[in-house]
Amino acid sequence: MNPLATVFPPNDFALLAVIVGLPLVGAFVNGVFGKRLGKEAVTLMALSSVGLSFLASVATFVALRGARAAEQAPRFVWQGWEWMRVSSRLDGPDVPIAFDLSVDPLSGTMILVITGVGFLIHLYSTKYMEADAGYHRFFAYLNLFVFSMLVLVLGDSLPVLFVGWEGVGLCSYLLIGFWFHEDANAAAGKKAFIANRVGDFGLLVAMGLLVYHCGALDWRGIDAAAHNLLVPKQVWPIGTHVPLASLLPDSAAAWLNAPRYATGATMVGLALLLGAAGKSAQIPLYVWLPDAMAGPTPVSALIHAATMVTAGVYLVCRLSGVFVLTPAAMFAVAFVGALTALFAATIALVQNDIKKVLAYSTVSQLGFMFLGAGVGAFSAGFFHVLTHAFFKACLFLGAGSVIHAMHARIHGTEASQDMRNMGGLRKFMPVTFVTFAAAWAAIVGFPLTSGFFSKDEILFKAFTSSPQAPLGGSMMVGGRSVELFTWPEWAPITLFVMGVAAATMTAFYMTRLIVGTFLGDFRGWTVVPGWKAAHGHGDDAHDEHAHDEHAHDEPGHGAAGREGPEPHESPWQMTLPLVVLGALAVVAGALNAHALFHSHLLDTWLEPVFQGVEKAIVVKENSKALELPLLVPGLLAFAAGVGGAWWAYVARGGEPMRALAERVPGLHQLVYEKWRIDELYEETFLGAVDALAEFAVWFDKWVVDGLLAKLTALLVAGGGAALRLAQTGRTHAYAALMVVGMAGLGWFFTAPHAQAKVEANHDEGRYVVSAAPGLGYRYRWATAEDGSWASDEFGAQAKVELSLEVGTSRTVKLAVENAFGRVEERTLLLERPRPDRSGPGGATTIEINRGADGRLEGQVAPRPIPSGAFPGPLGSALRVPPSFPVPGGGMPAPRGAAPGGPVPAPGVAAPSPGGAR
Amino acid sequence: MSAFGHVLEHYVLVATLIFGIGCVGFLVRRNVLVQLMSIELMLNAVNLALVAYDREQGAGSTGQTFAFFVIAVAAAEVAVGLAIILAFYRLRGTVDGDVADTLRH
Repeated sequence: MNPLATVFPPNDFALLAVIVGLPLVGAFVNGVFGKRLGKEAVTLMALSSVGLSFLASVATFVALRGARAAEQAPRFVWQGWEWMRVSSRLDGPDVPIAFDLSVDPLSGTMILVITGVGFLIHLYSTKYMEADAGYHRFFAYLNLFVFSMLVLVLGDSLPVLFVGWEGVGLCSYLLIGFWFHEDANAAAGKKAFIANRVGDFGLLVAMGLLVYHCGALDWRGIDAAAHNLLVPKQVWPIGTHVPLASLLPDSAAAWLNAPRYATGATMVGLALLLGAAGKSAQIPLYVWLPDAMAGPTPVSALIHAATMVTAGVYLVCRLSGVFVLTPAAMFAVAFVGALTALFAATIALVQNDIKKVLAYSTVSQLGFMFLGAGVGAFSAGFFHVLTHAFFKACLFLGAGSVIHAMHARIHGTEASQDMRNMGGLRKFMPVTFVTFAAAWAAIVGFPLTSGFFSKDEILFKAFTSSPQAPLGGSMMVGGRSVELFTWPEWAPITLFVMGVAAATMTAFYMTRLIVGTFLGDFRGWTVVPGWKAAHGHGDDAHDEHAHDEHAHDEPGHGAAGREGPEPHESPWQMTLPLVVLGALAVVAGALNAHALFHSHLLDTWLEPVFQGVEKAIVVKENSKALELPLLVPGLLAFAAGVGGAWWAYVARGGEPMRALAERVPGLHQLVYEKWRIDELYEETFLGAVDALAEFAVWFDKWVVDGLLAKLTALLVAGGGAALRLAQTGRTHAYAALMVVGMAGLGWFFTAPHAQAKVEANHDEGRYVVSAAPGLGYRYRWATAEDGSWASDEFGAQAKVELSLEVGTSRTVKLAVENAFGRVEERTLLLERPRPDRSGPGGATTIEINRGADGRLEGQVAPRPIPSGAFPGPLGSALRVPPSFPVPGGGMPAPRGAAPGGPVPAPGVAAPSPGGAR
Repeated sequence: MSAFGHVLEHYVLVATLIFGIGCVGFLVRRNVLVQLMSIELMLNAVNLALVAYDREQGAGSTGQTFAFFVIAVAAAEVAVGLAIILAFYRLRGTVDGDVADTLRH
């Protein structure tokens, strides 16, 4: 520990740059030189860069533990370079955006998962992708992905996170469309990219709002200035009233026009939720993830299960200090999560494609994580991120192993992934089966596995805890008390029931999956021991078929009746990652097995990150006692799901489900077609965009090209024809015109020009009138109220100053004489307007200070308004009660500040008339 | 008023007169040679004014320097102008400026 601390001090922890840099080097070498280097070198480069990065992550983790043990802040920073500066609204310095990296327990755990699971999947891919022509391209993308994901997690500010966020999006796009010669794959990549753009929009909006409200974008700066987010802003109506509302009945118009307020935190939270929902495939942006399975299976395991899709949850956890200030956004997070968990699970129930089932299962599990984060159980949500990374990566890799085996005789992408072509693989692929079963046990919540603990933790927290409204739940706005959003009473129980239902369905479809794949009889082809391929390939040569383009099998039972060899187990490079991940899937629950073993390892570890925010979460009084009883619904969900699937698919051979599908064919078809959400989006959003595009085409063709362009051409042609008449070619005519022009110029220069500029300071009532200079100009002024000239003579005074009372005006006369003795006069009217006093309180500044006990107090500090304040563009005014204590001290203590010391908040200017402009 | 007394006005008057003759001559005569001479008249009128004002100002001799430049430029202009007129005459057999209207088309 000590040598590490000497080489890498906490404030210059260059190891982070090493962790991030190594995969980038790998991506560069493989991407640029990969084709010439050959397969072995590419493998070595890819594996060593991620492997060394993993070792460096372990060292970082150890150093973090050392810092914890030494009771220092477990946070290391590496400062890269300042990137740019953006101007903030607050009267402070510009907001610097620096390429800094930092690591704390939360990101320290994430990088272990990214590089560790990433390394295993790289190893797996060396065999899975062995026969692919784009081998080096694949590993370049994969390394680039690991780099981007590490930047995302280690970035010390939102913009740096955003760089990684876009980077993983790009790699996801590249890898989904890895086999881009098939249109469907390329389309799936585009879909993922575009759906993510919608989310990225939210993230960008959140960044803008944070600059506006907090004047900071780095984690510590946001935390330190988070109290500024509590100021409510009027968000409705936009402008002064709703257009056309007066056409409605009075009561409806009044309801529409009633001003509505939201705190900055709510706006930031909802914008962040949109960003997180895009990346983490939540309703309504989840549609890209199932299609993303078009990529190679290791990609699905790494990007679309273990790491990238959890970035949204990571973001919510990372900015938990903002989210706890806004129960409204937390409510949205929790319900979006619960709905997604439930909705995706229903689709997974009926899919036949093994990867599709896993994809919807991932969407559903991500919903669980959002549910956890939404109720304020950030560490529980993150615990599920961790366990899900293990068991879902294992499931995907297992599915990849199965698909790999299926390719012995079935080459079509759809057919080789169809469960109806599998079955009975248990006896052919024992290692894959055992590890798959271990991961199955974890995801269905088999007692004592990792999924059991993490899922129950989320369900328990959903039932017992809920975020608390800040500021006692109300604020004074414009002299009226406005209720802030508080969690309804029914929310915890609803979320809990939704969670349990989703868990039951998860157990059901996962059991269906494992039964369909590994149990029963093999349905792919007739197994003939010692079978040789008719077209000359040996048994082991089938790898070269992997993913070939001759999709000569139809989906479903297309391969029945064919003969083939025994499906075989995959090589060790593929089974080793399965074994490691399967083992982790079983035992990782011990990290945080609250209910049974009182193990709080992960909670304790993450405490420095979440200790501030968890104070803002209300926990039911008797929650400790509920911990054990609340295991029962989870266990029942597991038993019901697994038992039901076992009864339906093993005991009865699938008969009951077929009967059920036949009884409600419409519903079955609807769910099988994924509730037709894609078609709905196609009709609504895509239809709207298409209509807009068509209108634009029409407009371009007929209005721009047809009308505007032709009119312009006509105008130019007409002008040309007229001017052509003047072009006689006679020098005399041109010379005569020139003489006229010169005479005009001479006239202009010999005539005086009485021009004047007024510099008005309406606030102080001072006005400076300065006359424009000219050759030999002399001036005379009349500034008195009676309009008389100050002197009879012209003089050199080119500038006069005068002051006016509010609401009065004055006529100023200026006369200019030039060197030729000619005189011109001009009259100016100066007016000092009345200040706008429509708002009840005028300009108000709220000062929020942190008391000695960590509570926030706000005070109204009415600014002395100058008697003639200039009217601002905003007519509304804001009033906050003279003092508003924050209950429970629901604020994260700024980690940089001295404990207990008051932190002066920057003055928060309300949208006031006569603001500081 | 200056070293000139009231003579400046006279010089300016003469300059204006010569400039006017040059200007009108340029506008009304068709013969390009005469037009060239008119230009010379105008240039020399400006020279006269420059020198007169320079003397009147008293300090420095910017105006006189400028007049020298004008004389140099006028010489160059005449050289080029006469060459053009010569070429034009060989081409068309006339020195009537109105004939030189090809650029109109």
